[in-house]
Amino acid sequence: MLSTLIWGPVLGAILIALLPVDPKSPRFRQVALAITVILLGLTVVLIAQFDPSQLSPQYNEFLPWLQFLGLNYHLGLDGLSLPLIGLNSALTLIAVVATKPDQHRPRFYYALMLLLNAGAAGAFLAQDLLLFFLFYEAEIIPLYFLIAIWGGGRRGYAAMKFLIYTAVSGILVLAAFLGLVWASGASTFDYEPLRQHHLPLTLQLILLALLLVGVFIKIPIFPFHTWLPDAHVEASTPISVLLAGVLLKLGTYALLKFGVGLFFEAWVVMAPWLAYLAGVSALYGALSAIAQQDMKKVVAYSSIAHMAYILLAASATTPLSMNAAVFQMVSHGLISAFLFLLVGVVYKKTGTRDVNVLCGLLNPERGLPITGSLIIVGVMASAGLPGLVGFIAEFLVFRGSFPIFPIATLLCIVGTGLTAVYFLLMVNRVFFGRLPDNLTNLPRVAFKEHAPALALMSFILLFGLVPSWVVRWSDSQATELVLRTSVRPTAAAIAPTMELGDLPNAITESLIAPGL
Amino acid sequence: MVIAPPPAPSSTRPPTPEEWFERFATDGAFLHDSPENLIEVVGILKSYGVVLDAYACNLNYIAEYQFMRLFPFFKYFNGDLTQKRLFKHWWHDRINFEYAEYCMKAMFWHGGGGLDAYLDTPEFAQAAEAAIQARWRGNPVMLGLHKLFPNFMPEQVRQYCYYSGLGQFWTVMSEIFLELSDRYDAGEINDIPAVVQHILDGLVKDAAKPITYSVQLGGQTYDLMPKSLGLTFLMDTGVPYVEAVFFRGTPFPGTISYNAQAYQIPFEQSVFAYGALYADPLPIGGSGIPPTLLMQDMRHFIPDYLMAVYQGTTRQMEDLRIQICESFQKSMFCVTTAAVRGLAPHPLDSTDPEEKAANQKYLQGWLNRLETSRLSRVA
Repeated sequence: MLSTLIWGPVLGAILIALLPVDPKSPRFRQVALAITVILLGLTVVLIAQFDPSQLSPQYNEFLPWLQFLGLNYHLGLDGLSLPLIGLNSALTLIAVVATKPDQHRPRFYYALMLLLNAGAAGAFLAQDLLLFFLFYEAEIIPLYFLIAIWGGGRRGYAAMKFLIYTAVSGILVLAAFLGLVWASGASTFDYEPLRQHHLPLTLQLILLALLLVGVFIKIPIFPFHTWLPDAHVEASTPISVLLAGVLLKLGTYALLKFGVGLFFEAWVVMAPWLAYLAGVSALYGALSAIAQQDMKKVVAYSSIAHMAYILLAASATTPLSMNAAVFQMVSHGLISAFLFLLVGVVYKKTGTRDVNVLCGLLNPERGLPITGSLIIVGVMASAGLPGLVGFIAEFLVFRGSFPIFPIATLLCIVGTGLTAVYFLLMVNRVFFGRLPDNLTNLPRVAFKEHAPALALMSFILLFGLVPSWVVRWSDSQATELVLRTSVRPTAAAIAPTMELGDLPNAITESLIAPGL
Repeated sequence: MVIAPPPAPSSTRPPTPEEWFERFATDGAFLHDSPENLIEVVGILKSYGVVLDAYACNLNYIAEYQFMRLFPFFKYFNGDLTQKRLFKHWWHDRINFEYAEYCMKAMFWHGGGGLDAYLDTPEFAQAAEAAIQARWRGNPVMLGLHKLFPNFMPEQVRQYCYYSGLGQFWTVMSEIFLELSDRYDAGEINDIPAVVQHILDGLVKDAAKPITYSVQLGGQTYDLMPKSLGLTFLMDTGVPYVEAVFFRGTPFPGTISYNAQAYQIPFEQSVFAYGALYADPLPIGGSGIPPTLLMQDMRHFIPDYLMAVYQGTTRQMEDLRIQICESFQKSMFCVTTAAVRGLAPHPLDSTDPEEKAANQKYLQGWLNRLETSRLSRVA
């Protein structure tokens, strides 16, 4: 069943590639839509049948592949990957819907989009380190072309920068995986067996450092972030949606699953530094966002700030903070995709994203009042206003991390305060005031242009009001990730019966080393 | 980053004063003559005529039948109070008669003309006192209050005089506009100069029409503005109305907000103009902007040919009120042109050097007043 999530879109891409060449034909879009709808339906079925109380991966699929390399086709779905698979399926559908019907070179475009979906799904489902790496690298190729062909004026530069950075990221991740297998003497890259091996701390630190630099590029974390604003600015709106909503999560997913899961002792040693790096990255992203003139860059730098919260939560390694990290991934995926969609609408209608050019777009009759109102909702969600998904995510992050790293958490809290500053500056400039004369003939925004954003908004509201609909899937897995390790016997003892409501007690009991 | 901003609406250089003089000397108007402008102006004046007629009827009704009512709850019903109308009123399926009252109050506030002068005379005070005594005869409470606050009720009577004055003015204007529409439909109006000429002819025809006001109280008639005063349509209501509503300002829907602390209001109030000819049709979403009542009313009576024009625009019906406002301003510049022509010291096509110089000086005065208006946008 899990293979369908990977090979379904691959077959869809092949099918699209085999369709007769007719750039004006709607069939490419229709096929892509049909496949993404099926994928989303399948994901819903998987979620419905998923047993959150099970700690081991479910729906396992194992196929011996290149056994002399220790590489097996091993897929599985756990509490960490389930929300991200949901995000991947939902956002790919939304990205297809948000693509303009008269897309240039549609055959290649939709085929690449499906391949991108397959690559991300494969990475989230892989239970084999080498298989994860293959998918982690595989998604770079379609994304490179999607930026390089359908991007903005500097698309070539942005795509090449993205390619170089993420290729280096992949090499470092691969080096960490190879080192782990070599040092542990294991004969397989399978995740679960490798978790049982115990490496010396020094070696763990070296391998973790390689892995961390690799995933920091992907997330991205300051100072490895410079590819992201360029990629976002040059990518078309649907690609920005996928980039922010799904592909950055590959980095944070690897951070949790492999960084915490495979190198826990080294992680505990490095955690204080990582927490401070998260604080610096959050502040850097927020302060950079304040200085931006391009709406898309504001959202891009906001992404850097908000992704840093995941690193902070992961550093704290409490059950609550691990849940927070997963929730923040979902929250950021929804909010950033939502904002990129709406900035795309503004750009499509006005021809610019420059905050110094745009003004008064909330004008009820000649402006973009619904787009503006939705952006304000997105801004509120991103700034963490109660009732919206961002509040739950950030509250969990800060609540889970503060007892462990108060200073770093405070830095991130300042960062979230700055979210209100840079987004309100943007909203004030772009949406309030008098609509300039050169913007009084803006075209109408059809309902279908807002439909993808409205769908995302419903989830932003829903998960803001009922966060347990996300947490219940990842709770056990996230908790298990930090409590299973042998260095924390007391916490491990409470893990099997622990509910989310018990987490505050669990935090105090699971505080790790006195040095932290 | 700026990438290919959408094309700005085509704008042309505003005419120089010399070009304005030339345009007025050859039957031109403030508004550029084009088939599109003609459709907009005639169509909008048709709907304006219908709405003005309704406003005028209501103003006259209030002046006549709601005189000094303490609680005029049903003043907008013109005496036709039924359950159905009441529900329609609450559902806001109605004409916004409040707008007419705003204009009346703007005239009352800014004053000017013979009517304003008369309302400060002892003759008016005497007539008002007689009406007040008649209105509250047998009501010691109200008469006692009148003794305590002797300026209050006369001020109310002044206001009713303005109700009546504006009602009578608009009755004439609505006839002019509706007749214009009929003539256009009959193929007699083919360009903007013809529109201006029609309005000018209407104003001239009724210029001397007397403005009077009397109320029936206790079976007796009280003349508050007797015919003997000699108040006339054009100079005593028309000109003050144009001054108050077109130039000086009223709570005109869409008027931009001014910040006195930011020195957006001139020290000399006389040069501060924010009337209909200066109003920004775009609601800016700021505070202090009332709903566009007049536009809301006019949209119900837009003729089909103008509606087709609006539906052919980028936003179609989404920005209907703004489109109506823009057309309305064009039409008001035609009315202003008629007023300018009618009040000119000499025929504007005069070739006599002295008369020409006097006309140019006169026109320059108008141009100076209209410098900050929407003229540059519509010319």
